[in-house]
Amino acid sequence: MDTYLEFRGIGKSFPGVQALDDISFTVSGGRVCAILGENGAGKSTLLKILSGDIQPGAGGVYINGAEQRFTSPYQAIRSGISVIYQERQLIPAMNVMENIFLGDIPAGRAGFVDRAELRGRTQEIIDSFGLPIHPLELVGRLPVAYQQMVEIMKAYRRNSKIIAFDEPTASLTDSEISILFELIGKLRNDGKIVLYVSHRLSEIFQITDEIVVLKDGRFVKTLETRETDEQELITAMVGRDIGDTYSGLKRNDRYGETLLEVSHLETAAVHDISFELKSGEILGLSGLVGAGRTEVVRAIFGADAIISGEIKLEGKPVHFKKPGDAIAAGIALCPEDRKEQGLVLLRSIRDNITAPVLDKVRKGLFLDKKAEDEVAGDAIKKYSIKTPSSDKPVLELSGGNQQKVILGRWTSSKMVTKVLILDEPTKGIDVGTKAEVYRIVCDFARDGIGVIFISSELTEVINVADRIIVMRNGRITGEVRREEASEESVLALAMSE
Amino acid sequence: MENMSAAKRLLRSKLFSLAAVTAVVVLIFYLIRRSYLGVDNIRGILNSMSLSGTIGVGMACLLIGGGVDLAAGAEGCFGGVMVALLISKAGAPWPVALVAVILIGAAIGAFNAFLINVLNFMGFIATIGVSSMLQGIINIITKARNISISDRGFWSIGTVAVANLFTLPFMIMAALVVVYGIILSRTRFGRTVYMCGGNRRAARLSGLNPKKISTILYINCGALASLGGAILAARMHSGSPKAVLGSELDAITAAVLGGVSFMGGAGNMGGCFIGLLLLCSFNNGLISVKLASYWTIVAQGVLLIAALIADYFNVRARARELKAAGA
Amino acid sequence: MKEGSKFLKSKMFALLVLLLLIVVFFTIASKGTFFSLVNARNILNAIVIVALLTVGAGALMISGQIDLSTGASGTMCGILMAILLVNGWPWPVAVVVALAAGGFVGAINALLINELHFQGFIATMAMASVTQGLSYALGGAASIPVDNKVVVYMGTGRIADVVPVSIIAALLIFFVYGIMLNKTKFGRSIYLVGGNPAAASLVGIDPKRISYILFINSGVLGSLAGCLFAARLKSATTTGIVSSQFAGMTAAILGGVSFGGGSGGMFGAFVGLLILNSFSNGMTLIKISPYWQTFASGALLLFALALDFSGAKKKN
Repeated sequence: MDTYLEFRGIGKSFPGVQALDDISFTVSGGRVCAILGENGAGKSTLLKILSGDIQPGAGGVYINGAEQRFTSPYQAIRSGISVIYQERQLIPAMNVMENIFLGDIPAGRAGFVDRAELRGRTQEIIDSFGLPIHPLELVGRLPVAYQQMVEIMKAYRRNSKIIAFDEPTASLTDSEISILFELIGKLRNDGKIVLYVSHRLSEIFQITDEIVVLKDGRFVKTLETRETDEQELITAMVGRDIGDTYSGLKRNDRYGETLLEVSHLETAAVHDISFELKSGEILGLSGLVGAGRTEVVRAIFGADAIISGEIKLEGKPVHFKKPGDAIAAGIALCPEDRKEQGLVLLRSIRDNITAPVLDKVRKGLFLDKKAEDEVAGDAIKKYSIKTPSSDKPVLELSGGNQQKVILGRWTSSKMVTKVLILDEPTKGIDVGTKAEVYRIVCDFARDGIGVIFISSELTEVINVADRIIVMRNGRITGEVRREEASEESVLALAMSE
Repeated sequence: MENMSAAKRLLRSKLFSLAAVTAVVVLIFYLIRRSYLGVDNIRGILNSMSLSGTIGVGMACLLIGGGVDLAAGAEGCFGGVMVALLISKAGAPWPVALVAVILIGAAIGAFNAFLINVLNFMGFIATIGVSSMLQGIINIITKARNISISDRGFWSIGTVAVANLFTLPFMIMAALVVVYGIILSRTRFGRTVYMCGGNRRAARLSGLNPKKISTILYINCGALASLGGAILAARMHSGSPKAVLGSELDAITAAVLGGVSFMGGAGNMGGCFIGLLLLCSFNNGLISVKLASYWTIVAQGVLLIAALIADYFNVRARARELKAAGA
Repeated sequence: MKEGSKFLKSKMFALLVLLLLIVVFFTIASKGTFFSLVNARNILNAIVIVALLTVGAGALMISGQIDLSTGASGTMCGILMAILLVNGWPWPVAVVVALAAGGFVGAINALLINELHFQGFIATMAMASVTQGLSYALGGAASIPVDNKVVVYMGTGRIADVVPVSIIAALLIFFVYGIMLNKTKFGRSIYLVGGNPAAASLVGIDPKRISYILFINSGVLGSLAGCLFAARLKSATTTGIVSSQFAGMTAAILGGVSFGGGSGGMFGAFVGLLILNSFSNGMTLIKISPYWQTFASGALLLFALALDFSGAKKKN
């Protein structure tokens, strides 16, 4: 019970960036501690240091007063630390028991694997968590939430004293989150130290005992969860009062003609999808992760093959064979995963913004650098992207600014965007930038653009979208207008049989 | 439990179909030429498996662990040349020479591992560079000539045979297949190899050391390649500066034919053995039906492509199955 | 902006210093022979074949791919051209057929990689094996004479009896590809695809199309190199330009084309090529065994990678 973890004077710099500067705070056993801060505040760096993935430049991690020097994750694990990252550290082609014992498979003499023991111990752990998972099930076949549970069981199996979660709910749905919270509660009751990194304030209020706020790589303060409120947290995080995120939004209330009409769309992943989108409308697309939301918009965008059904743009049937066709017709897609699908990280902001309009920034055969710089400069100004110049590689920008580069790409002066599809546009970005994104989305709508807004965060989709379509298992299960929408009604549709 | 047996069934069926293809290939060549299944020719086929097999065992482990060694052929050559030099020029007793050569191979493997794990070079391009360096060194030492071996004790490695069919080189190779097969499937180290090959970052963050595993596998591959070259030298009574070149491609082909995935993390030794059998029966068959030898070079490329195509369909089928299970 | 260009300059600077060192060293070691007009021409002359391969490999590598078959397939195309000429085909037809054959091999590579998702290096290695076998099958052990005057002129001819035609061709090719990469939509698309194919595809660039074009391009350039080589030797053999392929890749990497794709350019590749060729020419001049050159080519490849590595490290 007396375990305590202390960060003492931790500093870490990368070339050109002071990621962490003199971070000191202490967490004791049986407490759930949130680490909160805007993007670039240094939360991930701190977790990486804790897990031994990288080494601090100054200061150190102390457990029960003893300094820990980790040169690899192995040593951190041996010292009783487990970090559960956003992207799962599991091997899909292996089964649950092998994954739970990953890195520490019980073996007898000569290193032969003891399968009976492996299975028995796995079953024990599964039973103690009361989960309906089979030890021999391949992890790749488990639903996402259960994969996360396997991660937690892995940490539990190591008998870790300290368990850190990095945005654990990012890809979980609300119902799955409640399972997760139960487990975190169990860990707390067992006297573990739980660190919890998340952008979602409601969750933080629900499960944490204390909150450590970081800003720009510095420690701001520690707050007792019971004694604080959202307003105080946001002020501490952004250093300013941003007011109510949603109520200040200037909405568009005049819709134009029907822009996009999808009828009976059928692909390998989604079935019988029909809906309409008017110009100036923000259409929310909700549902549990894996419900087929991304697949619907990818099919509309020409990125996935369509089996049957019809798509009409401004009343005319269209057949996009590839994304280029859709872009030419005025449809834009900001994909779900910024780094994997959205940006070419090594290339400059300019290159990333002008990528879809290269045909419009060239003179004859050759690209016109001046025209390109104008287009990029416009976007940088319009969205106040923080960068000294448009030549900077996107890699060096923060998550929020990267998202703005993508928004800038699709709304540049050379683009004629009629339908803008945003797939999880606020995933992993901080509260301040989120508010900016909502504002930008409403601006689009007022400019007459039809927006499809996909989000896993119920509060967000309910407050931003004018109308919400809910999907489940690749089908549309219902539609709610904003005035009637509540988290419960949307969730009920997302989970209905 | 149902899933497990389903997975096993899948695996079995793949091995089975591979074995069936091998049987058909053998049958066709037999029908064209009866002597194809004569004792002498079978011994020839089994014997020819020894070189690519010995190298192949190391290569397969490496591929499963997510690496590749395109210098394996040159390493084998170097092993053959060095064993010949040690015995003929330095007068070393052959067992000493053999051990020394295995250590030399391990050292080259360690150099590969250094380039890849410390300097973070891409495996295939780094080993291409090493291969070129080794070939240079081999030709400098040998002046591009064979180095003959007169030690009859060493010759015996190549001549001893059980039942006039299973030669010692074949049996050494078969023993390696069995031992490494058990290591891969039954030991903690073996599981670790699959994990590192399957998801390197996950393995690292789970406290495993993928660089260590990769280093061991490169050293192992170098040592086995060198051994393979030395055994070939015993069979040929000389160390040749180029006889083993290109056998890394055979080794890779056999492994991929046998179900080792190029993405790492999948495959096993049983499959590799059958893949090797198919490759060698095929090559031998082409020669025994008197096709000019350059057609075997073409055929080899074609066979590798065929193996990869099979792998592609296999992966696709599995992906579809996973999808179906998820839905 | 400044940091980026400074870094680039410093790497380019390092390369130029290296080139200078090589020149100085071999000039001293060869007692002046190295630093003569005749030898400079020799170096440039030797560059032509590798230059074609460097350009093809460089463009592919920027797009994140690799072709290990160009040497073998180029050799096969050289033999094909020689055979067609021997059989009395008119030279333009023979050359075009040979180039088309190179393009065809490239298309098969692209097919295996894009449609069947093979790993690039293994697919192209297999194609190298296939085309090398076909070289033997077509050419046999003997060399095939190439005596068509026009073709031979392309390989050995000189303008005003001084400047070899093929040098001009090589410089022109570097220039054209450099401009293409730097200034055109297609060139930009290559960098975007190399940096992130998924993202490139979602902004309307078709990575498959780029891949097909670049593989076919690499095959055609390889074929051109094979034909020029045969023209220069006035005969086609099965060894041909097989070994030059690694020189091409090494030059590109040395000059800053990164294997991860997404960066590098033709000017760097050209400097890389100059370094490589001055080095091997110098070795020959001071009479070092050709076997050492095999060794050195491997060592240089590793050196090039190490340079790439230290650059990448700096950037992080």
